[in-house]
Amino acid sequence: MGFVMMMKHVMSGLAAGLMMASAMIGATGSAAAAEKVSVRLKWVAQAQFAGIYVAKAKGFYEAAGLDVTVNPGGPNINAATLVASGSDTFGVVSGTEGMLNARASDLPLVCIAMSQQKTPYAYVTYDDSGINSVKDFKGKSVATWFTGTQYTLFSVLAHEGIPQSDVQIVSQPFSMQPFIDRQYQVATVTLYNELNTLREQGINNIKLFRPDDSGVTTQQDAIVTSERMIKEKPEIVQSFLNATLKGWKYAFQHKAEAVDIVLAAGSGLERKHQELMLDEIENLMTAGVAKTEGLGAIDMASIEKVQASLIKFGGLKGPVDLKATFDQSFWNKVPADDKKL
Amino acid sequence: MTMRGRILTSPPVTVLLVALAWLAVVPLFNIEPRYLPPLGDVYAEAVKLWPDLLAGFWRTFLETFIGFIAGALIGIGFGTAFAYVRLLERAFFPIFVALQSVPVIAFGAIVVIWFGNTILAKVVIALYLAFFPVAVNTLRGLSGVNPGRAALLSSFGASNWQSFLMLALPSAAPVIMTGLKLGISLSLAGAIVGEWFGDTVGLGVLLLQALYFEQVTRVWVLIIACGLLGALLYGALSLIERRYVWWQFD
Repeated sequence: MGFVMMMKHVMSGLAAGLMMASAMIGATGSAAAAEKVSVRLKWVAQAQFAGIYVAKAKGFYEAAGLDVTVNPGGPNINAATLVASGSDTFGVVSGTEGMLNARASDLPLVCIAMSQQKTPYAYVTYDDSGINSVKDFKGKSVATWFTGTQYTLFSVLAHEGIPQSDVQIVSQPFSMQPFIDRQYQVATVTLYNELNTLREQGINNIKLFRPDDSGVTTQQDAIVTSERMIKEKPEIVQSFLNATLKGWKYAFQHKAEAVDIVLAAGSGLERKHQELMLDEIENLMTAGVAKTEGLGAIDMASIEKVQASLIKFGGLKGPVDLKATFDQSFWNKVPADDKKL
Repeated sequence: MTMRGRILTSPPVTVLLVALAWLAVVPLFNIEPRYLPPLGDVYAEAVKLWPDLLAGFWRTFLETFIGFIAGALIGIGFGTAFAYVRLLERAFFPIFVALQSVPVIAFGAIVVIWFGNTILAKVVIALYLAFFPVAVNTLRGLSGVNPGRAALLSSFGASNWQSFLMLALPSAAPVIMTGLKLGISLSLAGAIVGEWFGDTVGLGVLLLQALYFEQVTRVWVLIIACGLLGALLYGALSLIERRYVWWQFD
């Protein structure tokens, strides 16, 4: 081998080495620049949170300079507490009533957007129960989840002018079995899960009462962060919200792909369930003010109404600082392209 | 026991008998799948779920196993310390009892805040549930050492350490084994409950999802999987006991 050839080899080797080194520096450089944050969900991985999984899988978070860990929730943990304590940076937790109650008990939790625009809960009863309207709940046993969902029932009863003491309110487990066995006359369902599972089991002789028909609209799946994050790293909060809403918009425009991403993120999920769930989540998220203003919009008018009715029947001691609880400034700054339908 | 009796009561045969009864009972009494799905359906569901089931089984096994080993070591450590230092027993034992009476759910948020959604969080819950029965049984076993034998050993000039290794530990071992067998089942329960604090893999996660989506057949698959895991762990301990701790002190 001639000297020149050898030098060529050495040089190309060196060049390759240098390129690799610079690539590595680049990689670690950008990794160091990416802000490590986490988002805590209110339940395990499923299509209810498709937008977040899509934003992660499609690199929207990464492009926004965020290194996001998605932490699933479960029945044993309170996502709101974890975000308020700073254990998780962001969260998809509770909804209108939950936020009001969190603030009433001084949790430093701030809602920066609302995912679901219409109340995702409904009350079901059998066709032969003799219950034809919410007014007929009087004297009947009505089951609901005591994980924050009970406040929606309280609001509905208040709006219909029924004293709570006239209704036998019982705690509902997260299985619909007792309702199937007719242990209570009315049960609570979410439109994106329990209603689907009832129908899947061939139970179609049921009727639905929706809180929105009683004049109670509560937004659910609040996107939250802590007061501290807002004060110390508002730009990170903004980037997270932009990318999350962009993820949701993409999920609704590419639903099959979004379901694929969700299925890969969880384990043991059924495609059919997740497709049905995503359809219903889309209905809920693109309704109400989202139609005109965009995904994630906070409906202050409905929040004020819910607060007033909660105070009226003692579900809330007094008014909370709504401006501090629901901070719209970030949502307002989300580029229209990322949120407008 | 006769040979035939032994075969009839061996675990595989019992399992087979239960399976046969299941096969017969469902069509015989026309049981609705919501109450008990046909065994064939359960099998088909298990096949469908196989990769997730296998991953979940392995993950839950790891959480249980690591939590159990750590809990056993800590339990034996504390039990021994309590048996020899009465002051420690008086100071710490009531705290342990108080901790044990707090349902593990109450620690959920704390465990998640401390350990995040890592496998460690589940291991810690498994450990927390396992260590107490081990500690109590170690204490009981060591306190039950025959004083006459202890006096005899020391009259031969045995040191405290020798007497611990040669007399106290062997005579406590059967009682400690009982604690360990209690502990391993609790570890499994701890790991499964731990997965309900938020995770994506594990038998507990699959169980939670099956309950949430009302997939009764799948719930049965998971009941069997959890039972199998528990039986394997318990069986392994029994095997160790029979081979190494076969004696029984009075």
